[in-house]
Amino acid sequence: MTDVILRIRNLRTYFFTRRGIVKAVDGVDFDLGKSECLCLVGESGCGKTVTALSILSLIDSPPGRIVGGEIYYNNLNLLECPPDQIRRIRGKEIAMIFQDAQSALNPVFTIGDQVVEQVKLHLGTTTREAKEKAISLLEEVGIPTPEKVANYYPHQLSGGMRQRAMIAMSLSCDPQILIADEPTTAVDVTVKAQIMDIFNQLKNTRQMSLLFITHELSIVSEIGDRILVMYGGRVAETTTVSELLNNPKHPYTASLIKCLPDITQVRDRLETIPGTVPSLIDPPGGCLFHPRCDKALPICREEKPPPVTITNGHTVFCHLYSRKGEMG
Amino acid sequence: MRKTWLRDYIIKRLLIAVIIAWAVLTITFVLVRVGPTSPADKYLANLAARGQDTAQVVAAIEARYGVDRPIYEQYINYIVNLGRGDWGWSLSTSMPVTELIKTHWIYSFQLIFLSSIFAALIGILIGIYSAVRQYSKTDYIATFFSFIGISIPNFWLGVMLILLFSVQLGLFKTYYDTSLPLLSLANLKQLILPVITLGTGMLAGYTRYTRSAMLDNLRKEFVRTARAKGLPERTVIGKHVFRNAILPLITIIMFDLGSIVFGGAYLTEIIFGIPGLGQISFNAIFADDYAVVVAVTVISAFLILMINLITDITYTYLDPRIRYD
Amino acid sequence: MTNRFKNIKHIARKVGMVKNLAFIAVMALLGVVLLLDIFVVEKIFGLLVYLYIVLGTLFILYGIPSLYASRRLIKYYWQRASRNRLAVGGLAFILFLILLAIIGPLFTTDPTAANFEEKNLPPVGFTLEESVYDIKTGQFTTHRITGTGEHPVGTDDKGRDLLAMIISGAGVSLQVGLFATGIAIALGTLIGVTAAYLGGKMDNILMRFTDIMMTFPFFLLLVFIVFIFGPNLVFIVIVIGLTGWTGTARLIRSESLSLRTREFVMASKALGASDNRIILSHLIPNVISLIIVIATLSIPGVILAEAALSFIGLGDPNVASWGMILRAGQQNLDTTWWVAVAPGVMLFLTVLAFNFLGDGLRDAFDPRSNI
Repeated sequence: MTDVILRIRNLRTYFFTRRGIVKAVDGVDFDLGKSECLCLVGESGCGKTVTALSILSLIDSPPGRIVGGEIYYNNLNLLECPPDQIRRIRGKEIAMIFQDAQSALNPVFTIGDQVVEQVKLHLGTTTREAKEKAISLLEEVGIPTPEKVANYYPHQLSGGMRQRAMIAMSLSCDPQILIADEPTTAVDVTVKAQIMDIFNQLKNTRQMSLLFITHELSIVSEIGDRILVMYGGRVAETTTVSELLNNPKHPYTASLIKCLPDITQVRDRLETIPGTVPSLIDPPGGCLFHPRCDKALPICREEKPPPVTITNGHTVFCHLYSRKGEMG
Repeated sequence: MRKTWLRDYIIKRLLIAVIIAWAVLTITFVLVRVGPTSPADKYLANLAARGQDTAQVVAAIEARYGVDRPIYEQYINYIVNLGRGDWGWSLSTSMPVTELIKTHWIYSFQLIFLSSIFAALIGILIGIYSAVRQYSKTDYIATFFSFIGISIPNFWLGVMLILLFSVQLGLFKTYYDTSLPLLSLANLKQLILPVITLGTGMLAGYTRYTRSAMLDNLRKEFVRTARAKGLPERTVIGKHVFRNAILPLITIIMFDLGSIVFGGAYLTEIIFGIPGLGQISFNAIFADDYAVVVAVTVISAFLILMINLITDITYTYLDPRIRYD
Repeated sequence: MTNRFKNIKHIARKVGMVKNLAFIAVMALLGVVLLLDIFVVEKIFGLLVYLYIVLGTLFILYGIPSLYASRRLIKYYWQRASRNRLAVGGLAFILFLILLAIIGPLFTTDPTAANFEEKNLPPVGFTLEESVYDIKTGQFTTHRITGTGEHPVGTDDKGRDLLAMIISGAGVSLQVGLFATGIAIALGTLIGVTAAYLGGKMDNILMRFTDIMMTFPFFLLLVFIVFIFGPNLVFIVIVIGLTGWTGTARLIRSESLSLRTREFVMASKALGASDNRIILSHLIPNVISLIIVIATLSIPGVILAEAALSFIGLGDPNVASWGMILRAGQQNLDTTWWVAVAPGVMLFLTVLAFNFLGDGLRDAFDPRSNI
């Protein structure tokens, strides 16, 4: 097992709203290794983005708050760091890119300016050096005529270009970890392929850990080393990508994989998972998935499923495999 | 790459401004001529009341004002005269209107200028703070006071300030002393109450608009990106958010200028006895001095036209997404 | 199912006819009374009363049914708006003011009755010291005058009861607010919707015209026109209405433009709705909430405009408006200061109330604000 660069233990991030407490992330554990690509997978609203934002303490503080847990970045607990220290880490050691590049980029500044700003802040270079670095980064992500594009405004670029520009911006200070929050969700299929090419290329050329958030299993198989499946703010299952796709243990994961349309099969209807995502304000007791699970046991309604190690590196949170579950 | 169409846009706007200016002049002309009394009549009424022989005066005045000529000729004369710098003769003060304006515009200017600076600086800063610390005690207080500020009738505020500070407390004089040199501290002192009167409404407005514009932008995605880049909070707010918030702000401020500020300055001058253009135009009303009233109205319209133009151009310059072509 | 539908349509058409018949009947009756008034009998009703009767009839016959039809929507918005306590307070004050204006005059003395015996009385609880030079004795004697309950807010320098003047001023301001805003909003909405809907050249022309009108500073234009044509309250109200529509036109136009391209309009067109139907059933209801907010927030500006005109002496001299009282107070600031304070306070509170209400309504109607 490679060195662990990010270690998250029992992360809990809640949102205190007028209608109740939303437990967006409720006890999440995982490790991210050096140069490893971990895919965070789940439906909308399962807490993937909130987890990622919690790492960088980017939770909007009036309604949201990280109420517990530890996030160790190289033995430094990020949740106990003073704001100045976090700011030094953001953008430099741990960088993040977002789903919609159009709204994530500031519309009144040029692409070049936005990259230069970050470079100058963390690396302390002159403006000219920063500009040169910006141009070389734009080139690295495959943007043609980078010198010109650096003077463009975000609205002047196509969707794919914008996404590349945002990736370039995140790489500007050679971060150890890059968190990508659904970078392919808001783009069309051709651009999606291009973006995935860039990520693959980055994987090969840089020694960077990648935390890739997505809800598409197809993307996971392309780029992921390991995968973490989340449901209702908790972890359902985590293992290597191939192991998960071939041997899913959690009923939810199994259903997800079954839902993937297969072009070789002839079917009248697509598979779905019956029911809807649980309310995070008023969650069902015990295992969050039990109302929709066709293999639910009586204990699933009572107790939260404990982590069960199937094989080395394959952990499942399900009563079917726990000792109590086996007892029926 | 933006520049070429910008230049064309400016030219187009200037042309439109010329057309609007012409329309303004025409409307003013029509209103005056259509009015129930002509300039000569009132003056004649005054003379007759004083028992003077009106026949000769009538002839002279009619010749001078060209009222005996057909209306389109009057109109052309009117426009030509304006262009030549002859804006008429002020009957009440016995000097050319241009002279009158030249000596008095500075008082209006200093009042409006100082009030705007006062209102803009304080208002925008409070607005930003209020937005960043939304729902805090300071925010509630600031919002509350801004409501009061925009609701208080500014002419009443002026009267109340005079009542409190000049009459009861005797800190300021109740009239404006023109003998003081403009750039002196004493002049500044006597401008305090008028600036507060005119500026309070503006300030309250700026606070609200800034707060609202900032709040709109604070919710946007790029703020999160800026923070994720590791930028210090003051850069995130002061550079990224503010630069976006300033766009709608400029439009609103410009809109306010025409409807509120000029009217407010008019009233403030009258209350405090500041001899600016508002005051002389007001005096001219009661002296039936048409030329002055027309001149001041037209000048105000022109000024607003210019301000609109400048604001539009500034806006297109500041917002790279705007393109008019 | 379709049978029931046919029945309802039949009834609805009948009701529609009944409504229109009722309207025509009332108008005819009114016309008869008006003719009698002019030619036969002495004044039965004042002109304003006729106007109110017409408006009232319109509202009862056409307004109430449509309000009833959308009562759930109204209830929803009311719930949202009423969470804003300031807005509710504003509404309460406005209602109180209306009540005051209607019922008040029955309880107070005639505001125009000059009574020099009782001039310069301070309000209840305040004492005024006055030094009066007695010619006979050649000395200054100081009088101390205390306000009495008979004139709770004091009197002015002509002995007129200030409370009565304030109450009559309330009526003036409210009616000015109602009618001037009505004219401005009606004009602005008409121009805005027409420009947005017709588009193209017409839109351009109308907007250029609006630009030209906007170039004139509102208040100066007001002063200018009153100066030329004379100060008459009806005229002032009309002029305020005719000069204050530009902002409304702009806002309504931009909202209509964005509505026009929205999917539900295109869907209606695809379903075969005619232009008229789209305007009436889809565009206008969506703009109504905007109109309500604009109207509520325009009323204070209108009231202040009239007050400012009266204050500088260009108001209707026959009408006791708050601005005029303020003017009188300003001229005697060192002696009868209460004459300046009272109307100003009323103006301030009224404007504040409308601003609170308008703000609250705007938040209630805005789907993005979380209430």
